[in-house]
Amino acid sequence: MSVRIRMMLPLVVVLAAVVGYPLAYSFYLSLTDYKITSRGDVAFRGLEQYDNALNDPDYVQALLTTGTFVVSAVVLELAIGMLLALALQQQRWVRNLSRSFLLAPMFITPIAVGLMFRFLLNSQLGAIPSLLNGLGVSMDFFGSGTALWTIVAIDVWQWTPFMMLMLLAGLEGLPKQPFEAARVDGASALFTFRKVTIPLLRPVIVVAVLIRSLDALKVFEYVYATTRGGPGTETQTIQYLIYNTGITFFRLASASAMAYLLLAAVVVLAVLLFARIRRGGVL
Amino acid sequence: MKNRTVRRTVAVTAAVAALSLTAACSGGKGAPGSETPSGDGDVSSNVEGTVRVLMEGVPDTDIVEGMIGEFNEQYPNVKVQIETAVYDQMRDKYVASFTAPESSYDLAIIDNPWMGDFAKAGFLTPLDSYIESTSGYDYEDFAEPLRQINEVDGKTYGIPFYNYGLGLIYRTDLLSAAPSTLDELVAAAQENTTDTRAGIAMQPQRGYKAFEEWANFLFAAGGSIYDDEGNLSLDTPEAKEALETYIELYETAAPASSLNWAFDEALRSVSSDKAAMMVSYNWMLPTLNADDSPAGDLAGKFALATMPGGKQVLGSWSWAIPSNSETDDADWAFISWLTSADGEKQRVEAGGAPVRQSVLTDPQVAAQGFGADYYATVGDILANSAPLCQGANCDEMIQAVGTELSAAVSGQKSVADALSAAQEQATRIQSS
Repeated sequence: MSVRIRMMLPLVVVLAAVVGYPLAYSFYLSLTDYKITSRGDVAFRGLEQYDNALNDPDYVQALLTTGTFVVSAVVLELAIGMLLALALQQQRWVRNLSRSFLLAPMFITPIAVGLMFRFLLNSQLGAIPSLLNGLGVSMDFFGSGTALWTIVAIDVWQWTPFMMLMLLAGLEGLPKQPFEAARVDGASALFTFRKVTIPLLRPVIVVAVLIRSLDALKVFEYVYATTRGGPGTETQTIQYLIYNTGITFFRLASASAMAYLLLAAVVVLAVLLFARIRRGGVL
Repeated sequence: MKNRTVRRTVAVTAAVAALSLTAACSGGKGAPGSETPSGDGDVSSNVEGTVRVLMEGVPDTDIVEGMIGEFNEQYPNVKVQIETAVYDQMRDKYVASFTAPESSYDLAIIDNPWMGDFAKAGFLTPLDSYIESTSGYDYEDFAEPLRQINEVDGKTYGIPFYNYGLGLIYRTDLLSAAPSTLDELVAAAQENTTDTRAGIAMQPQRGYKAFEEWANFLFAAGGSIYDDEGNLSLDTPEAKEALETYIELYETAAPASSLNWAFDEALRSVSSDKAAMMVSYNWMLPTLNADDSPAGDLAGKFALATMPGGKQVLGSWSWAIPSNSETDDADWAFISWLTSADGEKQRVEAGGAPVRQSVLTDPQVAAQGFGADYYATVGDILANSAPLCQGANCDEMIQAVGTELSAAVSGQKSVADALSAAQEQATRIQSS
């Protein structure tokens, strides 16, 4: 065995134990009818659980809800993050103070953020509805039609700083010459931003959006802390549905199949995106 | 249970080894205290063992904890250790303990929707032989609907501990009498709706809460969750009437923006003079009327009534012995002592929710506790009530029905669509 392979062995062993085994075991579970309360008699069911998941309107609905959540949250985070990054780049005084201040939300654990907003937005106790009431506005943040957007807003509050951090790092690493050339040619600020900043920053934007999207797909804590998927199924995201199916309803086989389908979709999307980026010479 | 003989051998060997090393070996798993369950209800007072219990962190648990000292006067060698958790964590902790080779808990309190699944999965020990052989226990004294919850396939797996029967809590200074029909309830709620106060605080939160509240309306409209043959009957004219009334009540007399409300919010609303009524657990009444009531000056102005129509939703906690517990006799010693007529009387006098008929009619309890009227109403509630679910996959069934109801209340689905979906899903879930 070459030294190289031997040096890799610990990593391979650790990965096999902590990633490989759970993955393989949950794949096996997804092919059976395993339920926590009927451990004794597990029957092999082939792809039945996958078929059930794909034909389950709740599963499809949860995928759509999660998709809506991810797209709206990430787009908003990108836009606001970009504005903040541009502003911070221009800042000359107390730069470090304002940066650390803006980064604070990122360091709070998501379940705490969920609980915090549950109380802040509570129609009886919350500071925000109370302020709005003072202005004559009455709004149910977790009501029908608004609950999903409330959760999007919570995500935006917590994760815009991440976007801002990535973009700011990107902005500060850009070469100076193209900007000087644009200034010499008399280009407007907006024109420079569209034609110079954005194209140069594209690799950073793509990576930031990709990381944030994959992370946003995992949304669970906000839903668990605030709406529990309601009203109706309006905020039932895919992770919450899988949690409910597997942990609350004991149907681990079905939950494993749902999770595997999601994993497959994410892997295909990620591979396609990376391939495209590489072809386009972005990465 | 199968491994018990092997375990006993191991335990005895271990015990001898341990004893030879130290004399200060305490009871518990694998220690001298563990023994084969006798199934004999009259447990000898020198039984040994450590009984580890997981309970919900609520005042009733404190009452039980406070009684352990007295229990130890009779059973000095049984150590009862109570661990508390919030409700959301309890079932997960139990399932982890029940499925593990070595249990973490020797005694469990089981919420009624869990009973069917846990008993069928073999997680719990049948208690019939213990119940039958305990002298003077009077098992029939427990309210019948509570006993039925614990009967699975003809065997009894739990002893009623705590009731979650629902009732109507209303303000006596605003309403002269409790409404006795659904129409009267709607009318009373609408009449009492003002700019600053809602007629009734409701709990239409998706899942358990919406179903729990609406099912009382279903009973009042003459419907039932299961028909006489035990089939689900959620898509009936009565169910439609009940849901339409529920939605009307929500839209015309409930606080604004309360679509996601549950127990806490409704309680807060009633106790802060923002709502005149609520459907809630019967034991909320003493809390609201207490001297240190969350309602402050409003304390004393609340009354409890049975739901309009007289039948209500019942919930319960029951004591059960996990199959993988090794201290069954000590477990039973504790449960049978605590839930005996005397133990129950003492617990109820201290503020616990009653489950025995004799205690509800006991004059001493009425005098020491919250008054004869209150216990009479609780008796009526317990006498005519039914749980949300019976049989398999109850948690899932309750969530599914409650989600459909919430969709109808929030206007995402029509009443007819929501009920037919609820019926279809609940039937599929309970039969799979």
